[in-house]
Amino acid sequence: MEHTEHLEHTETPSDMKSQIWKTFWILLGFTVVDIVLYFVLLSTHAMWKNWVFIILGVVKAYYIVGVFMHMKFERKALMYTIVLPMVFVIFFVALMLIEGDFTNILRWLK
Amino acid sequence: MATNTLTTNTKFTWGGGKSPFSVSYGKLMMWIFLLSDAFTFSSLLIAYGFIRYSFLEPIRNTIVKPFDHLSHEFVREMGEKGLFVKEHWPSPELVFNHFPFIHGVHLPLFFVSLMTFILIFSSVTMVLAVEAGHRMAKDEVSKYMFLTIIGGAAFLGCQAWEWTTFIGEGATLHGNPFGPTSFAALFFIVTGFHGFHVFSGVMLNVIIYFNVLAGTYEKRGHYEMVEKVGLYWHFVDLVWVFVFTFFYLI
Repeated sequence: MEHTEHLEHTETPSDMKSQIWKTFWILLGFTVVDIVLYFVLLSTHAMWKNWVFIILGVVKAYYIVGVFMHMKFERKALMYTIVLPMVFVIFFVALMLIEGDFTNILRWLK
Repeated sequence: MATNTLTTNTKFTWGGGKSPFSVSYGKLMMWIFLLSDAFTFSSLLIAYGFIRYSFLEPIRNTIVKPFDHLSHEFVREMGEKGLFVKEHWPSPELVFNHFPFIHGVHLPLFFVSLMTFILIFSSVTMVLAVEAGHRMAKDEVSKYMFLTIIGGAAFLGCQAWEWTTFIGEGATLHGNPFGPTSFAALFFIVTGFHGFHVFSGVMLNVIIYFNVLAGTYEKRGHYEMVEKVGLYWHFVDLVWVFVFTFFYLI
């Protein structure tokens, strides 16, 4: 049966469990950092501030997809099939934020 | 000729006869579905970013501090003081500052942080259920699946409360006392779409939970179904990370 394939884990159960809890504390920590940064940077209106939050989001995404969704331990081919398209989406996000800024300028120019 | 085909199969990863990704078809299809769903959510969040940046930046709040008194006329007062105007995007900490059972206190982003913690925690119980499934520990799988369902239901309850409060303050799809109309419209569309995903996830988890109790996967010899719904559940958590980032932090 092909299902026997996914039983080929190298980690022992206690290893996996400690890794899960470690990831949980990392995610919790980054969320707290997010909220603290929000209030620290409340009066800042620069574009880099948004990139700080987006990058923190991507870091959290790395831990969720990598450990919780087990992507770190899958074949490279599967990893690139799923992850690579999302890299282009981040590029798209950057383009549209810049475009929105220009629309803003045009709106208040009249 | 037959031997030739056989050597081709073992020599090349993509030669056929085995999974080049080394996962079952069900798991691969779940990944492809999640990728397409990620595109849908990305388009919503990109639209949010674009519309958000086509308005002026939020006006900095220097009047209300955390734990300050919150009057019943808060939204109107802030509007009069010029913090909620049509040209400026509202500051999220002034919009989402309520907490259940605590009235009249300014608690910016406290409730939404709690929602984030609930969802992260339910993601942990889900991955613990998957881990228990690898060991064929039926009791542990059912225990963690149950906790995941509770977490999902708690999150949905929180979201229902958040919506009720927001609507109670006068926000609709075509009107918003906090400033630009699109702020409320985007909030309802994106969190609604995410909430619908959470709801579907809870329903799937309930089905799998009853299957675990009935011993379906014990008989099948593996708990891969738990892994597949687990992938979906983590995806819902992942989307929330970005909804949280875009709606409440940016």
